[in-house]
Amino acid sequence: MSREDHSTDAVLSVRDLSVSFATRQGVVRAVDGLSFDVGAKEVLGIVGESGSGKSVAMYSMLGLVRDANVSISGSVLFEGREILGLSDTDMQSVRGGEVGMIFQDPMTALTPVYTVGWQIVEQLRAHNEMTKKAAYERAAELLAEVGIPDPKSRVNHYPHEFSGGMRQRVVIAMALSCNPKLLIADEPTTALDVTTQAQILELMGRLQATHGSSIVIITHDMGVIAEIAHRVVVMYAGRPAEIGPEIDVVRSARHPYTWGLLGAVPRADVKSRRLVTIPGNAVSPLEVPPGCAFAPRCQYRMDICEQRPPLRGAHDHLDACWLSDEQRLVIRSTATVRGVS
Amino acid sequence: MLRFTIKRLASAVLVMFTISVLVFLIFFATPGVNPAARIAGRSASPQVLANVAKEFGLNRPLPIRYGLMMYHLFIKQDLSSYVNIGDRIIPQITAAAPITLSLIFGAVVIWLLVGVSAGVIAAKNKGKFIDPLVMFFGIAAISIPVYWLGQMVLLVTQGGLHTSIFAWAPNGGYVSLTQSPWQWALHLLFPWLTLASLYAGIYARVLRGELINNMNEDYIRTARAKGLSERRILYRHALRCSMISIVSLFGLDVGVLVGGAALLTEVVFGLPGVGFLTYQGLQNLDLPLIMGCVMYGAFFVVLASAVVDVLYAYIDPRIRVVA
Amino acid sequence: MSDDVLLRATDVVKNYASRRRVKGLRTLNTAVNGVSLEVKRGETLGIVGESGCGKSTLARCLVQLLPVTSGSVQFNGVELTTLSRRQLRPHRREMQLVFQDPYASLNPRRTVGDIVADPMRINKIGSDAEISSRVRGLFETVGLDPSALRRYPHEFSGGQRQRIGIARSLSLNPSLVVADEPVSALDVSVQAQVLNLMTDLQDEFKLTYLFIAHDLGVVRHVSDRVGVMYLGEIVELGDAEALYEKPLHPYTEALLSVVPELNDTDAPRRERIIISGDVPDPSDRPTGCSFHPRCPAATEICTTEKPDFVELRPGRFVACHHPRNVDAVAPTT
Repeated sequence: MSREDHSTDAVLSVRDLSVSFATRQGVVRAVDGLSFDVGAKEVLGIVGESGSGKSVAMYSMLGLVRDANVSISGSVLFEGREILGLSDTDMQSVRGGEVGMIFQDPMTALTPVYTVGWQIVEQLRAHNEMTKKAAYERAAELLAEVGIPDPKSRVNHYPHEFSGGMRQRVVIAMALSCNPKLLIADEPTTALDVTTQAQILELMGRLQATHGSSIVIITHDMGVIAEIAHRVVVMYAGRPAEIGPEIDVVRSARHPYTWGLLGAVPRADVKSRRLVTIPGNAVSPLEVPPGCAFAPRCQYRMDICEQRPPLRGAHDHLDACWLSDEQRLVIRSTATVRGVS
Repeated sequence: MLRFTIKRLASAVLVMFTISVLVFLIFFATPGVNPAARIAGRSASPQVLANVAKEFGLNRPLPIRYGLMMYHLFIKQDLSSYVNIGDRIIPQITAAAPITLSLIFGAVVIWLLVGVSAGVIAAKNKGKFIDPLVMFFGIAAISIPVYWLGQMVLLVTQGGLHTSIFAWAPNGGYVSLTQSPWQWALHLLFPWLTLASLYAGIYARVLRGELINNMNEDYIRTARAKGLSERRILYRHALRCSMISIVSLFGLDVGVLVGGAALLTEVVFGLPGVGFLTYQGLQNLDLPLIMGCVMYGAFFVVLASAVVDVLYAYIDPRIRVVA
Repeated sequence: MSDDVLLRATDVVKNYASRRRVKGLRTLNTAVNGVSLEVKRGETLGIVGESGCGKSTLARCLVQLLPVTSGSVQFNGVELTTLSRRQLRPHRREMQLVFQDPYASLNPRRTVGDIVADPMRINKIGSDAEISSRVRGLFETVGLDPSALRRYPHEFSGGQRQRIGIARSLSLNPSLVVADEPVSALDVSVQAQVLNLMTDLQDEFKLTYLFIAHDLGVVRHVSDRVGVMYLGEIVELGDAEALYEKPLHPYTEALLSVVPELNDTDAPRRERIIISGDVPDPSDRPTGCSFHPRCPAATEICTTEKPDFVELRPGRFVACHHPRNVDAVAPTT
């Protein structure tokens, strides 16, 4: 994908995004050449482990990376408009007004000294002309929409008076308050119990349908991706390893890292068997090898892997791997690799 | 909240009682020392010594002695100094108190304005030149002893420059507010600045640290994601949360100062406040006076501590639940 | 007492004084509300439950890190709850713990070699040379390079630190290892490495595991038998595969139905049972069955009578008035 190939009808179109930090030990490339699209009403999942750059990528797009030593390059079109490089003031109207964000830990996501109503109203009035009264009414409506009982009185409660799951609902209500076209969720259910997680994912799915927004969900949990995402980006060492429709990536994954990820997850729904392990440790961002970042840990490594593989593939399903389709067929027939069925 | 307040004040009373017992024991129950001699002062006649012994019940059991002391101190309020014969303690303290309060009032206004502004400026410009510059002045202000600074101020304003720039600066002393507001302020101006310097430095540094910490919190990230301006985020979110620790610091500082800790400033500038009184008592070894000042000071520290706890719960809604 | 039961807990209760008051009297925070279980020699018993269910408290009570409020804990036939600290010491060696947080469970001021050697030194087992050589051996066993002995914890990754914690737990050759969320803080691929390591070590050293976690997939993977905890009580206990395939308790059923699953086959998904509401406050227990306010199958009797923990089928225990899947579970083995 190149910059010229921006998808014209996508809500979010990212091309060649790279984010580097200048540190004392050298340049750290947290994100290295990421490209993907998010269509209208689509849920895109970005999956990767720690250090994969999945969060940094989204934060840097919205100007939330405040490090003075960062350099960001590439092109990000939001509804056809370039947002990378926007001034802080212009970015402030995009954030919250057109793009909503929710984060991982609901316990620390809200300012402890103001009521939840005050905080929702603050966002509403930052982006809309509204009287305080109207804004508080809307805040109560939003709380009701996300399933908080007795919203009219809860609007005046402080964050610490809500449980973790309830706080995450408040955060979701706040993020959707200005009817954004895009919602970015960074590990929204990781800090929650399984039953609460189910409630929140179900809520997000329902709200997405009613509000008509697109969602980018960042997670390390492939199960969550399978639950809610239409398409998936698998990231490793700041680079996309594989992109495609969720069902294709889960059932016919093409990248060895994806095979490793899928095989390493212990399943609650099938009889357990020995877990697949990826040898070695995750690559340190300072020591990314030239060529394919995953090569040192890959059991299908070839000589050509010393060159960085391009992101390519048929239809909608792309991968950054030198393995040919024939080679994959051979692997499929000989190994019991998850996802290569 | 009410329950918490009552509990807190009750424990304050308990602490006061404990302090009074401790003070009493230190002065009157130290083994090997004759309390009578100490109360009566250095050159007391045997007759005076006998009077002291009778009045304070020095040959009665300890609890009775304690009771007598408290009775003289609080109820009859006729505890009097033996060094300056007949001078009653309590009236001296109550006369000195407004002077100390005047000093503290002005210093508080100045140090809050300067300290908070400096802290905010330093935090906003973290890493840039102005940040370490402000912090340098802060640490300089903390390090310079108040009595030295006061003397230097007097030297400058009363010395060579007295005839030219600082002709208007008075040479210490106090003028009461009711007498002449203008003179009151003029006489207190340099004492205010001197006393405030130390605290402004501390508050600037503490606030800067708190602000920088809070700006890294998750809720600030949420505030940014909401599209709020950096200015609003700093003042309405980060600063508001940082004020919590400043308030508790402030309460204790004021409490201690009201109790007489501005001693050095008062002495240098010749302000006859409670600190000055304590200083005199210590110089003359006037035991009843010292006891009175110590109790007075302790009372305000305990009170301030209790008020701060209650205020803290008011400002930080999370504390109310725990309480 | 049969030889194959290593640890037996009977009616273990752990209460804390809560700050809540009802009618002026302090209520009790019933963190563990009467748990009875057996851990058989050589098996892995998994305890699964959500946050606040009391599983960590239960683990600490079983190894006597916390004093129980009432109940009995027998290890190798010996009653532990009545022993003094000194009497407990020889038994302590047999029960070791692995903790959740690889960053907090290792003393940052000790070298990793010392951390693994400390239990042996404290218990005065072996000479310095013997201890040294054993530490090297343990490092190799857990897949770490022995040359790293002199390094400090902060120089290792999360997964490596967890291996060090495991090495430490093995240094006294225990018979029981209690692992409290040992892989929750690790990335997926590292988690797989540590889980495989733990299963290998179990075979090699004939260990018995009490494995506590909130991740249902992890627990299924490692466990022979599984106990499900809710609000301080074990609501279901039984063979892992049977429990996961045909759960008896409505809570277990609901939990399993909402675990996000990979849709890599066309096999029909479990029907979603989304439990509403939040877990109640353990100092304000519901009457009757603790789960009844949130249970889709609750009836009148559930609000008044607390169900007994019974062995409904051989090896399958449940505490419920209306257990699910009863017909599907074979009545006789």
